Amino acid sequence: MIALDAIRKTYRSGATSHTAIGNVSLSIGDGEFVSIVGPSGCGKSTLLNLIAGFIAPSAGEIRVKDQLVEPGHVPSRLGYLFQKDAVLPWLTVEQNVGLGLRFAHMPAAQIRDKVSSLLKLANLRGYENYFPYQLSGGMRQRTALLMTLACDPRVLLLDEPFGALDSHTKINLHRELHEIWRQLRQTIVMVTHDLDEAVALSDRVIVLSGPPSRILLDRRIDIAHPRDPYTVRETEQFGTHLRALWGVLGKEYQRTPDGTAAILGSAA
Amino acid sequence: MTISTTASAHVDTAPARQNGLGDQVRIALYQVVLLCVFLGLWEGLTRVPYLVKNTFLDPFFISRPSLIALQLWKWTFGVQAGFLLPHLASTLGATLLGLVVATSTGFLVGLLLSQSPTMAKTLNPFIVSLNSLPRIAMVPLITMVFGLGLLAKVVTAWFVVFFLIFFNTFKGSVSIEKHLLQFCQTLGGTPRQIMWSVRVPSALAWTFAALPNAISFSLVAVVIAEFVGTTRGMGYLIVTALSTLNATEMFAAITVLGLSGIALVAIAERVERRLLRWSPQFNER
Repeated sequence: MIALDAIRKTYRSGATSHTAIGNVSLSIGDGEFVSIVGPSGCGKSTLLNLIAGFIAPSAGEIRVKDQLVEPGHVPSRLGYLFQKDAVLPWLTVEQNVGLGLRFAHMPAAQIRDKVSSLLKLANLRGYENYFPYQLSGGMRQRTALLMTLACDPRVLLLDEPFGALDSHTKINLHRELHEIWRQLRQTIVMVTHDLDEAVALSDRVIVLSGPPSRILLDRRIDIAHPRDPYTVRETEQFGTHLRALWGVLGKEYQRTPDGTAAILGSAA
Repeated sequence: MTISTTASAHVDTAPARQNGLGDQVRIALYQVVLLCVFLGLWEGLTRVPYLVKNTFLDPFFISRPSLIALQLWKWTFGVQAGFLLPHLASTLGATLLGLVVATSTGFLVGLLLSQSPTMAKTLNPFIVSLNSLPRIAMVPLITMVFGLGLLAKVVTAWFVVFFLIFFNTFKGSVSIEKHLLQFCQTLGGTPRQIMWSVRVPSALAWTFAALPNAISFSLVAVVIAEFVGTTRGMGYLIVTALSTLNATEMFAAITVLGLSGIALVAIAERVERRLLRWSPQFNER
């Protein structure tokens, strides 16, 4: 479904250059939920931006659904959720969720039906006419997720989508995301700082090294679905996976100077 | 899907509103007191013989509130009833027309230049130098070129207001967050759709935010244009009063201008608030 072949990405500014991604090859199957973790600045987000076609690789090829990704052209039916929610502040919740459908010239009556069923799905009914500033961060992120889901994406790229939320809201959104994925089986690639989150939700966790990044570990998380993203943390398997991942990631943090205390805390 | 809705939306509670109303009344009271003190001093001091004789506090120079009120009455309902209105209408008409023309052109040029970094960089020194010109110095030239009528006033207002709107729109359009544009791309938006649904509204927000200032500037520009060459308008009234050394008529005209300014800005703020009702700055105290 998603294939990265010998990807390298170097940023140049004047005489200096910074190689964010060294040499990454990766294949992600249909309907797989893959998380990518690694030290800050290791090019995790760069990887997503490359898959979405926002930027061009310096070397290598990316294919989504056997189609070569061309820079500047977002592959069709690809959704992207940013850490900072991207809802449009001048549109109401209802108008925001329907934005992609309006882009696709869907008739207004159909848009209304689809939007209303989506809002019901995410318990946002009653908030149709609210503007984003009237919502909490969690509700805004949920609105952004619905905006994406309205377009029926087959690939979902998530760039630390829960990073800015409090832990209670985060767990709720984990449950929602897990449920949506279980029902619709999109291919999901999630970049995160949070190892717990990665293990709780994914089929596979990939650990990247500091820049220039390469893959240090590609670990399958063989915990059966459906999972409850909260209670799964208490299982023995969860602990085993976490320790194995942390064994690799922890060493990498020691090697790179910018591992933060928050990350150390989350895996302790 | 099972979810709990974790957030409470902002709700305007009744006590808060009452509190706000109380504040408003209190502030209005302060304003009335301040105005009364100012007018009272003006009225009283211009009646003290010593001050009238030895300082500028002479009704010959600065008139007196009671005389000004009398003059305003004369112009509106008294012996010269109907005298004021055509002048006021002429000034306000030119102000609004200038504002509309300047806002629409400033918005268009701002949006256009924000789309083309090369063009924006090329034109930058020209725009900055035009903006730094003492535009008031151009008023005689504008009058020479566009005649003594409405056109010269509108052109002057445009010249003053255009840059204000242009810079605001430009800034609004280039400061749009990249991830908003990218997100809309993933929702399947074509460049044209993203232009209309993201770039234009984002720039418009900044344009609207400049409206209250723009309307004040427009009024000032029109009055100055009227000083130089015209036979109608509040600026014309002020200049004729000056040439006949009639301080009362001059202050009467200035009072009307001040009140018009307050009314225009209040309207502009109301329009802005309506158009930007999605913005927290107008909804949170």
